[in-house]
Amino acid sequence: MKIIGQQIFRFVLFVLLQVFIFNQIEIGLGITLLLCPLYIMLMPFDTNIFVLMGLGFLMGLNVDVMSDTYGLHASSLLLFAYFRPIIFNFFSPRDGYDVLKSPTIFDMGQTWFLYTFGSLLLIYLTWFFIIEIFSFNKIVYLLQKIFLSLIFTYLLSLLLQVFLLRKTQKT
Amino acid sequence: MQNLIAFLRRFRVFLFFAILQVICLLSYVQYLSFPKSQFFTSASSIGGEFYSMKYAVAQHFELENSNLKLQKENIYLRKRLIKNLYQVDRNLFKIKDTSFEQQYNYIPASVINSTTGKMNNYFTINIGDMQGVKRGMGVFSSDGVVGIIHNTSKHYSVVKSVLTQDINIDVLIQPIGLYGFLKWDGKDPTRGTISGISNDLRIKKWSKVYTRGGSGIFPKGILVGRVEKLAPVEGKPLWDVVIKFSQDFRSIDRVYVIKNLLIEEQKTLELDVPEDEDKPLI
Repeated sequence: MKIIGQQIFRFVLFVLLQVFIFNQIEIGLGITLLLCPLYIMLMPFDTNIFVLMGLGFLMGLNVDVMSDTYGLHASSLLLFAYFRPIIFNFFSPRDGYDVLKSPTIFDMGQTWFLYTFGSLLLIYLTWFFIIEIFSFNKIVYLLQKIFLSLIFTYLLSLLLQVFLLRKTQKT
Repeated sequence: MQNLIAFLRRFRVFLFFAILQVICLLSYVQYLSFPKSQFFTSASSIGGEFYSMKYAVAQHFELENSNLKLQKENIYLRKRLIKNLYQVDRNLFKIKDTSFEQQYNYIPASVINSTTGKMNNYFTINIGDMQGVKRGMGVFSSDGVVGIIHNTSKHYSVVKSVLTQDINIDVLIQPIGLYGFLKWDGKDPTRGTISGISNDLRIKKWSKVYTRGGSGIFPKGILVGRVEKLAPVEGKPLWDVVIKFSQDFRSIDRVYVIKNLLIEEQKTLELDVPEDEDKPLI
């Protein structure tokens, strides 16, 4: 019961942060700060894939409704949720994942988080910007957007974990 | 039958993914062209409420600037009042003037949500159906053109801004009187392009660009920006004219919505014109 309450709180917090803070920050050079993938990333290891995809879809829809990008966030978050188990399997430790731990940078370590979240974020951002730009004439601009947003979103996600999850899980 | 069930069981994750994905993409492509579902936009009552709360806080940081701007505009308009003018011809002062008829009305509004970093940027403003806003009306600020109303609800409306890819406002380059369509390439929120200008014409740098007023959305002569440079199009005898917008869309606040009182008349008249592919898209 406690974990459901925590997840609902996090869901609302992430949508509000994305819509009212990070959508309003415009750095220029095509940098977009996207926070929502971190929510899907931080779900527990044994979460059902259908629940993951459903939540990604719902969260994306919420953000879309508030920022007039109808279906763009939903589609890419769905893709993120779909690829999460695949990438997790790919980078799994030798004796599998410990269900009691959660996929944060504190529990799993710097390298693991960089590989998994980095590659998932790359897939997510590529899909996001391909749909947003919708033409291959601007391939250089597309790559620039993906690369710069990747760096900034990754740094933002690290920072947010430091703020949100400092004291949890000391097993 | 058993094979089918086995197949569905095996690929159930992917099927679930694919179905949701198709829903997302369809709605994304559809929203770009026809704004059908009014409820699910930032003009809906819940989203609009939230954004007006945000605006109520954020507006205080802009108060000084917007006051200055309004004051300037007031002085400009006050100078044109009858009592400030010296009357040259004392005998021909008309009170009831039938040679002019009101064509455009303006409704003031505030932008409560805006973006400039995306490929298609929509602004939300705090007036809607109750104030008589309809789809297709023009929006401008005291600095220049802003966009066209895309979708409305009871209290709010969404504006398709100049910073969208298929905006196609018809503009006029003065003083040489050339016209073309304004476009935006999705990168720089301070610059737009006018395509399809023949390259044997000499256009002076910093000449002003105004709306042409052809489609009845904007009155003639609202400032859009100034010509910054001419870029040649590969393989065609054409220029792409790069213009710098006079309105900085990153700090947009007060706007006016244009209500054209004669638009129905113009539209019914233009229905008789045979279809042509060169017609403007709006």
